[in-house]
Amino acid sequence: MQTSQWAFAVTEMVHLLALAALGGSVLFLDLRLLGITLRNESASVISRDLSRILLVSLAVMILSGIGLLSEEAMKCFYSPAFRWKMALLVTAVTFYFTIHRKTALRASTTTASLSQRAVAVISLLLWLGVGVAGRAIGLI
Amino acid sequence: MTQPLIQHVCQILYDSPIGTAIRESDNAFSVIESVHVLSITLLVGTIAILDLRMLGLILREIRVSRIARAVLPLTWAGFLFMLTSGFLLFWAEAAKNYLNPAFRVKMVLLLLVGLNPLIFHTTVYRRVTQWEIDHRSPWRARAAACASLLLWGGVIVAGRAIAYF
Repeated sequence: MQTSQWAFAVTEMVHLLALAALGGSVLFLDLRLLGITLRNESASVISRDLSRILLVSLAVMILSGIGLLSEEAMKCFYSPAFRWKMALLVTAVTFYFTIHRKTALRASTTTASLSQRAVAVISLLLWLGVGVAGRAIGLI
Repeated sequence: MTQPLIQHVCQILYDSPIGTAIRESDNAFSVIESVHVLSITLLVGTIAILDLRMLGLILREIRVSRIARAVLPLTWAGFLFMLTSGFLLFWAEAAKNYLNPAFRVKMVLLLLVGLNPLIFHTTVYRRVTQWEIDHRSPWRARAAACASLLLWGGVIVAGRAIAYF
C-alpha cells in the first residue's frame, strides 16, 4: 500500500464511511439510554437492532484500520495518539460488550436511572475519545 | 474580468483576512476539520437509521414517523455543524477548491442529496400514517432511503477525495 497512490485514499474513505455508521448508532443508542429519544420504545429492542449496524461498522473499521496501519505501522508504533486510540478502543469495545449491553437489556421504558445515564455518558466519551485520538494520529 | 464570476468570488474569499487566517494558522484548519468529521457522524449516522428502518432492516416494530421525529433534530443539528464548519474550510481554500474536481463532484452530490428529502417529504411521506407501521415501507420510500444512503456515502467519499487533488 505504500506504493499505491489510491489504495490508502480508498481505505481511508471506507474507514470514514464506517465511522459515520458506527458513530450514528452509538449516539442514537446512548441518547435512548439517556432517555432523550424514543423514550417509550424498548431499549433492548433498539440496542439489539442498532448493535447490528454497530458490529458491522466496527468490523469494517477494524479491517480498514489494519489496512491503513499496514502503510505506516512504524510511524504509528511511536505515535502517542495511536497508543491512546488503541487503549481507548479496547476500553470502549470491552465496555460495550459488558456493562453497556447489560444496561440496555435492563433499561426501563419509563425513566432513565442514574446508573443508566452514567453508562451512556461513559460510552459516548469513550467512543468520542477513540475518534479524537484517531484524528490526532495524522497531526502529531 | 477574465475569470468566471464564481471563481472570482472564490478568489475574494480566499484572499480575505479570515480565509487567510484559517489557512495560515497552525491548528485552525485541523480543528475545524475534526468538527466537520464529527458532524458527518451526527448527520449521516442518524439519517442512516431512518433509511435502514424504511428499508425494513432495523427497528421494524417502531413506527417510521416516531423514528423520523427522534432522528431528524439530530440530523438537522449535524447539518448545521457540517455546513458551518464546511464553509469555514471552504473559506480557507476557496480558490483551490474551485479548481478541484472532487470538490465539484461533492457540490453536485450535495445538491442532489438536498433534493431527495424535498421530494420525499412532499410526496410519499405525506401519507406516512398509512404505511408507518409496515415493516417494509412502500417502494418510493425505499427508493428515497437508498438514494439517501448512496448520495451521502458519495458526499463523504468525494469530500475525502478533495485532499488528494
